[in-house]
Order: sequence, then C-alpha cells, then structure tokens
Amino acid sequence: MKTIFELKNVSVNFDKHSISHKTLRYALAVKMNGHSSQKISAVDNINLVINDGENVGLIGRNGAGKSTLLKVLTGVITPQSGTVNRNTGKHIVPLIELGIGFQPDLSGRENCYLSGILMGYRKDEIEARMDDIIKFSELEDFIDEPVKNYSSGMYARLAFAIATDVKPDVLLVDEVFGVGDEFFMRKCIIRMQKLMKQGSTTIFVSHNLDFLVTQCNRIIWLDKGKIIMDGDPEETAGVYRLSEGIAV
Amino acid sequence: MDSTSWRFSWYFAVSQLKTKYRFTALGFLWNFLEPALYLVILSLVFSVINRMNINDYAVFLFSALVPWRYFEKVVTSSMESIVGGEWLLKKMYVSPLAFPANKFIISTFEFLFSITVAFILFAFLKENWTIHLIILPLSIIPWALFGIGLGMISAVLFTFFRDVRPLIQMILTLVFFTSPILFHKNIFEPNSLQANLMQYHPITYFAALFQKPVYEAVWPSDIDWIISIIISLFTLVIGYNLIQKFKNKFYFYL
Repeated sequence: MKTIFELKNVSVNFDKHSISHKTLRYALAVKMNGHSSQKISAVDNINLVINDGENVGLIGRNGAGKSTLLKVLTGVITPQSGTVNRNTGKHIVPLIELGIGFQPDLSGRENCYLSGILMGYRKDEIEARMDDIIKFSELEDFIDEPVKNYSSGMYARLAFAIATDVKPDVLLVDEVFGVGDEFFMRKCIIRMQKLMKQGSTTIFVSHNLDFLVTQCNRIIWLDKGKIIMDGDPEETAGVYRLSEGIAV
Repeated sequence: MDSTSWRFSWYFAVSQLKTKYRFTALGFLWNFLEPALYLVILSLVFSVINRMNINDYAVFLFSALVPWRYFEKVVTSSMESIVGGEWLLKKMYVSPLAFPANKFIISTFEFLFSITVAFILFAFLKENWTIHLIILPLSIIPWALFGIGLGMISAVLFTFFRDVRPLIQMILTLVFFTSPILFHKNIFEPNSLQANLMQYHPITYFAALFQKPVYEAVWPSDIDWIISIIISLFTLVIGYNLIQKFKNKFYFYL
C-alpha cells in the first residue's frame, strides 16, 4: 500500500502571550526575569502513517490539536521538530475552511478560477468544469454577481462545489459540513461518499461522531496534542465517548 | 516557487487590477487619469521652485519620477504583502514568495499605465525626440530588480518586526528628497558640497538611466549601468535568500 503521509516525532509549539511578546518591554522583562516565554504544545511528538485509500476521522475536544495536525499535513505549518513526508505524486486538496481565497469584490465565476488555481488546477481545467460547478452549487442566476452579495449558504455551496468537483487524490476536510440547507448537505455527503468509493484518501476533522463512524474506516483520537487512540471507528468513538462521560 | 504559487500570484494580480476601479463610473480610465493628475500637479508646483521652464522641467521630472514611483510602490506594497497574505498563508500552502511577486506584477502594470501617460504628455512637452529612447525598456530592469529585492527584504523584516514600516517609509522619503529626481543637479554650484554628495547617492545612477535618454538625449554612462545593476542584483539575492531562510517561521508570526 502506498503511503500518503508519514509523520515522525512531529511537534508544533505556539508562544503564549502572542500579543505582547513582540514588544521591547516584554523582551526586556524576559531578559531580566530570565524565563523564556511560555509555549503551548499543539501537536506533541506525533508519529503517524496514512496510506492510500484510507478514510480517516480525527476526533478530540476543542484545542486537542486536530486542526493544527491537518495544517501540518497540508504543509501550511512546518513543525519545529520532526519530519513530514508527503507523497508528492498525489494531488492534495485542503478544505480547511469553506471559501479560502474568495475575494468579496470578484464574481462567483472569477472566484471559481482563483480558488481552483489555489487548489492546483490550471485555468482551462477549471473552465472545463465550470458548468458542473455552477450546476452543483445551484447558483445559475448568481454566478456573475460579486460574492459579497451572496448569502452564507450560497457562499458555502460554491466553495464546496469547487473543492469537490475535480476529483482530488487526497481531501483534507476541517468541519465544513452543517452549511447550506438539509438538501444541500445531503448532496455534499453523497458526493463525499462517491469520492471515497472512487479511492480518494480523505481525512476529516469533525465533531459529528456518527458521521465519522459511518463514513471512516479509521478514527484517531487526539488530546492535548497526543494520539490517545488510533483504530477501529466504532471502538475509538466508543472509548472517547465514555471518557467524556457520555454513555454509549 | 511552484507552478501553483506562480499561477496564483498572476491570476490574483489580474483580478485585483480588474476590481481596483470596478465600482467607479470611469472604470479602467482611472488607471491613466490617476498618474496624469499626479504628474501634472507635481510639475506645476515644482517648476516654480526650480525656476525652470515648465515644459522643460516637466520632461526632466517625469523621466525619473515615473520609475521612482514604480520602485517605491513595489517596495512599500511588497513590505506588507506577507503579513497581508495571512488570510491564505495560514490556511493553505502557497509559497510566501507569491505575495511579493503578486505586488510586483500589480505595480508593473501600474508602471506601464504611468509611462504611457508620461509619453502622451511628452507629445505636448518634448521637442527633441531622439534614438536614445529605445534604451528605456532596459533602463527599467535595474529599478524593477532593486524594488523587488528591497521589497522582499522589507517583507521579511516587517513580518518579524512591525516597527519597520514607518522606518522604511521615512527612509524612502529621505532618499527621494535628497535624490536628483525633483531638482536638477545644476542648481548646485559645481564642486560644492551638495554636488559632490550627489555622487554618493545611489538613486543618482538609477535616475540617470531615464534622465539621460529622455531629458539630455544621451546614452546612460557605463558607470550608471554598473552601479545600478550591482546594487539591484545584490538586494535581489539577499531578499530571495531571506525569504527562503525564514519561510517556515512566518506562520508563527502572522
């Protein structure tokens, strides 16, 4: 089986007091008191291998390090220590947030191009898909309007349509469902299932445990930047729920 | 820089240029009106101070002022580009070089609009048109490289120390007002202190690349080329290497 991501002893730390730590006064105070600024460990010495075709769910409380881990996988964050190996032959599309890169003054169509380019496609590739994107997002009448006039549902629909229209090899999703109405959500889920069936590797961050248990074949439970449990979805979700005091 | 980042900086620049005047009545025309108004106002005011013939002075002024404005725009907009790219750099992988590159592309388009305007004005102001004008496409290269080089250096400095913005703006103002762009060096006595100091002003050599062919109708000298090219390549190499060296740290300072 081909490896998509391989993380070895990966750690990411953030400075606490990030508002004041750049001032001269703070720097002098640190010098005189002799202590360095406090660190928060968002990802703490993680070893992880994700293989081709796996559908992985990441669970854990707020602040457990799920989003940071996802950002390490996409390459947005370079960890302070450890190594990250990424399969360079695979097309990785991150969906960390809906509508990354959308410019309010640009029309829906222009934003499609910009967003598509950011996901690694060429302009002509996006042009070929434009009709499908418009159809899926149900925005036929509004595609040439500036997106600042869109409702949040329209915005999310367009963003989701772009990210999933061209078949990515690897899709990283950070809690982006729960947008649009129920019917659109169902459409999104069907499309995700289709991608998974076609063999796309997916990594989901979500608080919707039922969704993850039904869709994923592996769940990783993170707490305070460490992997607590990694394995069978139902078992991991069950232990996680118990630890939080929720009866299954 | 990878091809995705290149494509992004290009397409993003084009869309920013498109939206810049999107909601104005005159639209695209503003790209020409804005530099035209600026150049006309400045030439009216400073021809009085320089006690020069207005036509003559305007040709002299525009020749180096247009590349200077370009250079200044590249430096100041690139400086804030990486911090300003937070919306993307914190969420998706793009090369941090894409942001100074994006500002560079936008400023280059604006320069092309301004130089067009300057030449339209020259049609009314300038009497002797000579062969020397053909050197101008080469003359802009050292300005462009110096701009993007200094822009990348300031972008890295600004990411780690936000205090540098007013400092760099002040340095640019100082450099501009001491350079022979606004005033002709003939206003000083030959061999006076000021005239001698001009030799040590780097912008003197950059300005000569435009002033000589446009205003004096001669070719820029070898020394003008050598000094301007050395300075621009030097800053370019430093700027590029600074971004490469610190790119993994930007996330934590945005």
